[in-house]
Amino acid sequence: MTIGKVVGGALWYALLIVVVVLALGPVVWMVSTSLKPEVQIMTTEIHWIPQTFTLENFQAVLARHNILRWTFNSLLVASVATLLVLILDSLAGYALARMEFYGRDSLFILILSMLFVPLQITVVPLFLLFSKMGLTDTYWALILPVGANVTGVFLMRQFFLTIPGELEDAARVDGANDFQIWWRVVMPLAKPALTAVTIITFLSTWNSFFWPLIVTRTDAVRTLPVGVAQFMSLRPGMAQAAQAFGQSMAGATMAALPPIIFFLLLQRYFIEGISMTGMKG
Amino acid sequence: MRILRPTTPAGAAIHKKPRFRLTPYLFVLPYLTIFVVFRLAPSIAGLGVSFTNWAAVGTPRWIGLKNYQAMVRDPRLHDAVRNTFVFTLITVPLLVGLGLALAIFLNQRHRGRGVGRVAIFTPYVIMSTVVGVLWTWMLDKDFGLINVYLGHNIPWLVSQKYALYAIVITTVWWTVGYNMVLYLAGLQDVPAELYEAARIDGANSWRLFRHITLPLLAPTTFLVLMLTLINSFQIFDLVFVMTSGGPGTSTLTLVQYVYTTAFQFRKFGYGSAVAVLLFAILVVLAIIQTRVYRRGLKGAAE
Repeated sequence: MTIGKVVGGALWYALLIVVVVLALGPVVWMVSTSLKPEVQIMTTEIHWIPQTFTLENFQAVLARHNILRWTFNSLLVASVATLLVLILDSLAGYALARMEFYGRDSLFILILSMLFVPLQITVVPLFLLFSKMGLTDTYWALILPVGANVTGVFLMRQFFLTIPGELEDAARVDGANDFQIWWRVVMPLAKPALTAVTIITFLSTWNSFFWPLIVTRTDAVRTLPVGVAQFMSLRPGMAQAAQAFGQSMAGATMAALPPIIFFLLLQRYFIEGISMTGMKG
Repeated sequence: MRILRPTTPAGAAIHKKPRFRLTPYLFVLPYLTIFVVFRLAPSIAGLGVSFTNWAAVGTPRWIGLKNYQAMVRDPRLHDAVRNTFVFTLITVPLLVGLGLALAIFLNQRHRGRGVGRVAIFTPYVIMSTVVGVLWTWMLDKDFGLINVYLGHNIPWLVSQKYALYAIVITTVWWTVGYNMVLYLAGLQDVPAELYEAARIDGANSWRLFRHITLPLLAPTTFLVLMLTLINSFQIFDLVFVMTSGGPGTSTLTLVQYVYTTAFQFRKFGYGSAVAVLLFAILVVLAIIQTRVYRRGLKGAAE
């Protein structure tokens, strides 16, 4: 019995190592490649640790591409959009959960039904709308559509449903109006839900590609995923591909490491946030 | 986890009086304005555009079902539909199966399982286009890590035969952690006493899994399957970065086709019609899945 347990345990750890290597190997390889001089990249010899370290790939990327600007744009857009979503969704979610008004339930169903409408149906009209307003290639075009998200409203409503009504009643007896109750009584209790919505919205906006690809043209507002796709991607067979993997990996490393570090620091919130969307069904 | 199980029915708590109150509308209005302008109206307009011949030049005209008729005779679209289905049929079972297997594996009481969970979720926080760039390198024919270790020069991204599989491999590596997290959350709700009781009755591990874990995870599986299906059908970012739909049309997918038609060739009308087709497929799948799930629940209850 104990021998079986020991063997089982050893097997488990062996499997764990395989799984961890498969998951993180490519990331390590990306960083490793980015630190190598070109001659050591295009070879079938594998050196996980570069024989000679160089920063020339990073310098070349920084000199040729506005990657810092793209990063700044992505951070700005994701932050402002998340803030917007938090305000809009917690207000709407509160009313949908705790107030009675005409059309409330149909409105909620209408909002939820948009979950099934793929973004691609909306992009042509959205693009024409922003063109008419002269707002393509601006932060507005990147931020405003995020405010129309569905998941956040849903999560906030579901959370507000769980708050005991006595708290609101007590505040009302003390003479608080609805906005005061929302801001002073309910919102402080909603931190778990607000954290989840923050993580989900920030991550999805930060990663968003299809719409930013269509609506941005210049480095002034171009976001990181779009910049990486347009300038770092190397189609196989292209002539310059042979000499540019080092730079591509340097760009990829610069784009990938900040969110990875952020995730490692805040992993508990990430996992909880994702688990909460899981409850969508 | 408990969050979505209401302790009070919707809106029951406080405002029972049926008189008109302005406040709820004020709470909803800011969101609703943005929602209508940037989501609801464009969705309806998108459906409308699909009945026109709107393009970059000329004035748009209502052409009824002509775009939809053209789709029947469009070989590139047929390739896109086929590729999207093939991609989904391969990716979804892999992502759901591996997600569940990893969740069960990393739910065992061993030290170090936290490290495993974090490691597997890590790729998911990397943005899609960076993942695409990274895997273009990993799958390089001559010097990519995969081929070097395999000892073969498999032309992953330059051959019609392999390109779609290259996208599949990359997708699984990138997103399996997400499904694992959802399943881990689901597993926390399986009461440990059930296992103990069954084990006393002499059930082996497989039967525990088959008769306790799997049925109790059914709601999680329903959700994971739905999300994975929706995402697979909308595969775009990796295709755009790694192959742009090629070689030939071997990795052309529906969303990639919407993008090239509407925004490279500026055929807004036809592009929107393809998007509507995608929407129709998603709705049909959702209906089928819900039916099957309901029947499964009924079957389990009997």
